[in-house]
Amino acid sequence: MNRPNPYLNDHWHVVAGNEAVASGQPFRTVLFDVPIIIQRLADGLRVTAALAPEKPLPVLERYGFIWTSLGTPMPLFEIPEYDEADRRNMNAGSLGVAVSAPRAIENFLDMGHFPYVHTDILGAEPHTEVKEYDVEVSAERGEVLATRCRFFQPRAATSSAGGQEVEYVYRVPHPYCSVLYKSCPSDENRRDVIAIFCQPVGEERIVAHMLQSLIDDVSTITDMRRFQQTIFGQDKPILENQYPKKLPLDPRAETPIRADKSAIAYRRWLSQMGVNYGVIPLVPRVADV
Amino acid sequence: MSELSAAWHPIASSEDLPYRHVFHGQLLGREFAVWRADDGNVNVWENRCLHRGVRLSIGINEGAELKCQYHGWRYANRTAGCTYIPAHPADAPARRITNRTYPVIEFAGLVWSAAGAADAFVEPLQEADWFALRPIPVTATPEMVRDKVVAAAEPGSEPVRLTEFGYSMKLAGGRGEDAAVFIQPVDAGRAVIRALLPETPAQPLATLRHYNALLNALREQIERTAREAPAPEPIEPEYEPVSLELATMPELRLGTRTSIRVRVARKYDAGEGVIGLDLAALEGHLPTFQPGAHIDVHLPNGLVRQYSITNGPGEQLHYGIGVKREPESRGGSSTIAEAVREGDLLAISEPRNNFPLRRDATRTTLIAGGIGITPLLAMAKNLFGSRLEFDFHVFARSQQHLPFADALERFGDHVSPHIGLDAAETGRTLEEIVGSYSFARHLYVCGPAPMLELVRALAARNGWPDEAVHFEYFKNTREIDQSSSFTVELARSALTLEVPAGRTILEVLRENGVEAPSSCEQGACGTCLTKVLEGTPDHQDVYLNETEKQANASMLTCVSRSLSDKLVLDI
Amino acid sequence: MITLYDFELSGNCYKPRLLMSILGLTYETVPVDFYPGREHKSEAFLKLNPFGELPVLVDDGLVLRDSQAILIYLASKYDKTGQWYPLSDPAVLAEIAIWHDFANRITATASAARLGLSMFYDVDIEAAQAGAHQLFRLLDEHLWFGEREGRDWLCAPSHPTTADIACFPYVALSEEAGVPRQDYPAIRRWLDRVKRIPGFTVMSGVFPAGPAIEA
Repeated sequence: MNRPNPYLNDHWHVVAGNEAVASGQPFRTVLFDVPIIIQRLADGLRVTAALAPEKPLPVLERYGFIWTSLGTPMPLFEIPEYDEADRRNMNAGSLGVAVSAPRAIENFLDMGHFPYVHTDILGAEPHTEVKEYDVEVSAERGEVLATRCRFFQPRAATSSAGGQEVEYVYRVPHPYCSVLYKSCPSDENRRDVIAIFCQPVGEERIVAHMLQSLIDDVSTITDMRRFQQTIFGQDKPILENQYPKKLPLDPRAETPIRADKSAIAYRRWLSQMGVNYGVIPLVPRVADV
Repeated sequence: MSELSAAWHPIASSEDLPYRHVFHGQLLGREFAVWRADDGNVNVWENRCLHRGVRLSIGINEGAELKCQYHGWRYANRTAGCTYIPAHPADAPARRITNRTYPVIEFAGLVWSAAGAADAFVEPLQEADWFALRPIPVTATPEMVRDKVVAAAEPGSEPVRLTEFGYSMKLAGGRGEDAAVFIQPVDAGRAVIRALLPETPAQPLATLRHYNALLNALREQIERTAREAPAPEPIEPEYEPVSLELATMPELRLGTRTSIRVRVARKYDAGEGVIGLDLAALEGHLPTFQPGAHIDVHLPNGLVRQYSITNGPGEQLHYGIGVKREPESRGGSSTIAEAVREGDLLAISEPRNNFPLRRDATRTTLIAGGIGITPLLAMAKNLFGSRLEFDFHVFARSQQHLPFADALERFGDHVSPHIGLDAAETGRTLEEIVGSYSFARHLYVCGPAPMLELVRALAARNGWPDEAVHFEYFKNTREIDQSSSFTVELARSALTLEVPAGRTILEVLRENGVEAPSSCEQGACGTCLTKVLEGTPDHQDVYLNETEKQANASMLTCVSRSLSDKLVLDI
Repeated sequence: MITLYDFELSGNCYKPRLLMSILGLTYETVPVDFYPGREHKSEAFLKLNPFGELPVLVDDGLVLRDSQAILIYLASKYDKTGQWYPLSDPAVLAEIAIWHDFANRITATASAARLGLSMFYDVDIEAAQAGAHQLFRLLDEHLWFGEREGRDWLCAPSHPTTADIACFPYVALSEEAGVPRQDYPAIRRWLDRVKRIPGFTVMSGVFPAGPAIEA
């Protein structure tokens, strides 16, 4: 069985939403093909591998989710906006998907599919153009950053009334997590935050945990969850129909266009970090050497 | 396995491919998207969009193109070449993005294909009115299914081998016919029994039900046995890498000069003074083109001329072009009129597109003057086929001079012919057509230079942004001033060349062994478009728009020169 | 005014949405946080539907549960053509009842496997998938012979009925249940036909089909 490389292993990985784990009821899930058990005990959370119940794993509660690690985790990335007092923070759901984590992240970074997959919500024909945007990979912060991303959207959020050009910033601060900032319909000086945290159950199966941190006094949590689940529910059958399910890191495996700049940067970054789980690593071709 | 992949197998019944459907097939572990275009052609493609690997079997069969559900990329009937990428609506997908295709033959009511480079198709059966039974998928190895099928022969009869996975045999419990039974090897642990009867039975439905029950029972029996052993691992499909060219996005579009031989399949009168030519592939189909594209035609007298392709989407068996008889012809149109006959062979270039059609407009307006109709005809066919909003204005001297009048009829209300107008009337009509600009409208115009100039001026005056006005000159009628002399530095070739008065940059490049693509060589087609890194070009072409000219970031080396002493080009 | 208590990712909630869209009915939606909130098991919701299930439809004070019952009600009351649930044709009504029951069997298998895989319900996923495949074999055979007999839909009439609406969602969502449809070409063609019914609408997880204009 393929094991994650040390870089990947020494990260915090999400394993459950806070509310999914009730007191007195062990919660079973899987991380990197390893069955684990989460328990909420009187003195706090306890996470163990099912086959090694005596040895506790590191545990962290953050952003409304429970995180653990099979290695020695480096600090979890920051989302400073999460702690702003007037934000509505919510777990929008944890959904199982038959795809690799990197394919799901790449889809999260993609704007070109809005008119086709999220028709009349995040995009609509004929407004299909992906305008030029900027991408950088910050080596010291260890994240991919895409800025100046703009897209015409008929209904960008629960609270939006009509169409508008929406500006996005995407961060990939973790090989399996991405955070996006988008124009906030109710306050033009601030940005809504939506994040996807992928739990690698196996190389080709994930749980996609979704966080929303919104500036919206009007909508109910149910409304806002419904919006995000509608969107992700539309992505899901696309992800489950992608082949191969693992993300190929060879640039010649698929055909990128300029709109895919962020995806190209993400694939390169995974390659540089030696990420080997949920991907098809780049093997130099004899003819290219 | 390599021999097996070269062999032909049935992968579907002809009936599995109704109007505008995409069938999901598989052979030896390779998944197929199988679809019949409106022209009847059956496409068998790798079930994977080259962009992000999404299955094309969930895509939309648009009749002439298959559209991917993920990003709306379109692939043409027959060639599987990409014709449109909505994320970049202003760009023609210049690179040859082509899905992997598999061979296909329809024979005996079945669709046949092979999982790799195929052997020549040898008909495994005699021509007959073969009658396809309901195909039965079986979860067992193809070898086991084959052996069990052979064992299910009527006692005393002897199955005759037709192919490695096909037999002529009487099925026990059948009605005595010599059925042809083929086992489609789907994957390591899956197969489909595809059986045919030699003629349509007297009671088709009852016969179908009878054999369906019989084969279902056989399936149950085979699957019971198969469950006793662990299921084999599925065959790992091989995904071929895309070409290096496709793996990176080139900044600059450079034309190719590959030459293709075609046969003049039809030469006809396409209106007063216009000759229509259908240039057919010698075998198979011609390369993918997009609306607005043109080809170079090499004429018997050595001249090379550019003509727009008038075809609709997915029409890949020939290119239709229109040639105007010019009284003062430089030898192009008169050669075609006099020396080119049906059946002749000509050389043409691959299609090149300097006049791409955006499909993200809320409304598209097409304006054609005379023979300028040709690229717009292809665009209109595309917009019409995709049911996009458009209006198509055609200006002609008389009803007889209206080119391709037959082809225009199908567009109904979308077309407005403007016949026999004088200059003043033409001006007024154009003013009305252009009107004021509104968001996401696009204007395409092709025709004589004065008409283009007028439309561009009207559009500018009415608030149309440059990027919403698209035009193609078929020639540059401007006087070219060749009096300047200057230095050209080639940044990538590390060469410095002097361009004297009276010679073009292009000529100097070629004299010094620098290969540079070109086509019309009069500043109209854009083939020699080159990036400018330093210096101020003296633009003398009609290809670049005003914004592009002012940016001084690119130039056409065939006619444009330099205002500064030195130009640095990205060559 | 019709009110639908609804969860976007539920195929059973999709059934009334689909029929109301086809019939051109306007209605109000009350979103219920089925997952992860389990709002359908909340005290307030149990008062509305003691079974704790979605969807619930309220029309003029009448509270209805069970997606097939809701289809019958909507078609009988609002379908002016009388085609979707032909009250005057006992043979067709009986046929529809058979396929409504079939739809429940699909829910018990394909939908159960989907809930197990995507929302971690405690389900024997493999058994549910095998059950769905058994049903799909029957369904494909029924539809394949239908095509030979000139029947495009689940029941005998030359037009779709509530039977088609009832069976469509969890068949169309079966890939999310780990039940591929590659072996069921007649089912795949029937899905296309349902998607081309005027007024058809998608849900998250169901792709649209292209328009089919007869050439």
